[in-house]
Amino acid sequence: MQPPDEASLHARGRWPPAPGPRAAIVGSRNASPYGEAVAEELARELAAAGVVIVSGLAVGIDAAAHRGALNGGGVTVAVMGTGVDIVYPAAHGELAARIIAGGGALVSQFPDGTLPRRHQFPARNWTMAAISDVVVVVEADQRSGALITAEAALELSKDVMAVPGSVFSPMSVGTHGLIRDGAALVQNTRDVLAALKVPRSEVLDDPLKTPQRLGFELGRDADGIVIHLSDTMAVSAAELARKLQLPIAEVVGRLTSLELEGAVRRLDAGYVRSLRRGKGRA
Amino acid sequence: MLATVDSCLLAGLEGRLVEVQADAGNGKTEFQLVGLAATSVREARQRVRSAIKNSALPFPLARLTVNLAPPEMRKEGSTLDLAIAVSIVLAHDGRKPPPRTAYLGELALDGAVRHVDGVLVAVRWLRDHGFGTVFVPAADAAEAALVDGIQVMPSRDLASVIAHVAGDAPIAPQPATAPSLPPSAEIELDLADVHGQEEAKRALEIAAAGGHHVLMSGPPGAGKTMLARCLAGILPPLALDEALEVAQIRSLLGELPAHTPLDWVRPFRAPHHGVSMAGLIGGGAGVAQPGEISRAHNGVLFVDELAEFQASVLQALRQPLEAGRITITRSGGSVAFPARFTLVAATNPCPCGWAGDGRRACRCTPAVVDAYRRKLSGPLLDRIDLKVNVRRVPPTLLANEPVGERSAIVRERVIAARAQELERQGCLNAFLKPARLRRHAALESAPRKTLERWAEQQGLSARGFHRAWRVARTAADLDGSDQIAEHHVLEALGYRLHDAAA
Repeated sequence: MQPPDEASLHARGRWPPAPGPRAAIVGSRNASPYGEAVAEELARELAAAGVVIVSGLAVGIDAAAHRGALNGGGVTVAVMGTGVDIVYPAAHGELAARIIAGGGALVSQFPDGTLPRRHQFPARNWTMAAISDVVVVVEADQRSGALITAEAALELSKDVMAVPGSVFSPMSVGTHGLIRDGAALVQNTRDVLAALKVPRSEVLDDPLKTPQRLGFELGRDADGIVIHLSDTMAVSAAELARKLQLPIAEVVGRLTSLELEGAVRRLDAGYVRSLRRGKGRA
Repeated sequence: MLATVDSCLLAGLEGRLVEVQADAGNGKTEFQLVGLAATSVREARQRVRSAIKNSALPFPLARLTVNLAPPEMRKEGSTLDLAIAVSIVLAHDGRKPPPRTAYLGELALDGAVRHVDGVLVAVRWLRDHGFGTVFVPAADAAEAALVDGIQVMPSRDLASVIAHVAGDAPIAPQPATAPSLPPSAEIELDLADVHGQEEAKRALEIAAAGGHHVLMSGPPGAGKTMLARCLAGILPPLALDEALEVAQIRSLLGELPAHTPLDWVRPFRAPHHGVSMAGLIGGGAGVAQPGEISRAHNGVLFVDELAEFQASVLQALRQPLEAGRITITRSGGSVAFPARFTLVAATNPCPCGWAGDGRRACRCTPAVVDAYRRKLSGPLLDRIDLKVNVRRVPPTLLANEPVGERSAIVRERVIAARAQELERQGCLNAFLKPARLRRHAALESAPRKTLERWAEQQGLSARGFHRAWRVARTAADLDGSDQIAEHHVLEALGYRLHDAAA
């Protein structure tokens, strides 16, 4: 597949952006809280360091990456599988507006008025790889479209990087596969900056800083409910009650209380540890 | 010569008195049946003629007219056969029929009296309207004798009925069917047999104690159906009047077992998602028949695959959920059936069933998941107080002996909680409207603050607020506690779906 020429892309907003490094941050729509947190964090720090963040405006990892870049005060570009006049998914209208307002752009190889069609998205993925210097896959299951972006990056001789996750998580099967096949492992923002050959910046004074970001003090949680929770996979109240040998009524109540505190989040299938305190992102 | 006897037809759970008048007069030999008789009743002429002849009774060779009154009421079915035959024989003999006596039953050509539906309902109605004796098909006698204050005559055949009326060979009245005592612990499916699922089990316990409706969301094969079936076993056994209400519905449908007409186990109905409107709420041609919601009266209605049901069918559940009864209007008139049930709804979280599982990736696009969930929202879900996620139980747990409380123990707690609720406020907690909630479930400052803080943080609607409040009241009642503590509120807030903050 031959990606289109940069200049031939349809665009809303400022395109092309000011010269500088560009990183694509991509991943699954069904991201775990862990994946979203990593994408947002990476994008925020990279954008603050002057890297343009490229992603696909989808839900999950893509949206987290755009949001992170905007929060970092940086520029982000959304590569769309529709015409640039049609925001898909429609719920991202506000995000799209923020991207343009932040000095970034919505771009597409498809003419205005093109509706979302399944076959357009792989082509879009190629374009993302083509306009970026490096592709970072944050979370991807076995069939994720993000793997197409990674493949395209290889074909186009761009760097592919991947974020590791839990070996139990289906959302990390794809990224672990990439690492096994030689993609560079991303542990922090510095890894990506190094691949982009951006000089070490002040943001990253301590390259070996381990990502300690539990949003609460463990001491407060006397019965240790939270240490039984993971930040990628939901654990149900029933499982917790079995592990802790506590009555289910009590466990359900304590989980609600922790949720009020912002220490845990409730997902469809159970509870996960919150990675950031107080930011009640739904 | 003229003879008049009484019978009874049914419209829902209401009886309608039918006066059957036979007149044998001079003239050309013929047999006329008048009085808005539907085809099924008009065919009674052939059955009655043969039945009388084959019972070795004389059939009047005269101008015979049988009138069914009142004439404006449309009459259907074969229930009137016996009354028609008796009136003809008495008219021929010139004998006076016994007073305050009614006749129910279909005739076979050999004179045997056959089963008809709804005998229990008809006999109750006749007793309430001053009748002292009723002849019913022998097969339905045990059912009819559940009603006290009226003499039930089991009728094998036309000849024996006539012999009794003539005073030749009296029929022994059916002894009253003593309602056998409720069997102490007959539980079809025990909670203790279900592996894991502690959260859902607890939600069912709260549902049973407070009369709340429940929604379970989870992947296929997680055990939602099995859990729903357990609910009937942790509800208190039916009281006598409740059991009679259940029996009346079954009697109308002709589904009452002949020898043990009274069942103490709560009904459990699980209509398929292809069910029609008439099948679910009741209906049919002519006079409406009870539907699944009335069969589930005083029991459990399990609606599996909620999103697969037609929206209009689900909307029709609103009236009965609100009122505990359903009114259906058909050409044959308007009838009402009781329909007070606990609704247990189940759904997959998305069309493929794996959204949010975390162990297996969901294959649905966000738009599809959105559309699926939108289908689930709305007025029906607004009436469901408890919402729980049900996950697949890990295989390691399945291999072990299940540990957990037996249904009988949970039922003890449920019975105690219900008694406390009824004593305090005269109804179950699920039926508390906001004003009564404030009076009977007053919140002290700490639990109130928690509830308010949650409502603000999660953008809870007024309905959601009251829902959590009601559930907290039930959690406290299960604890035997008069006051709602903070942990009751916290627990109540745990039974909701992530995406349905309302």
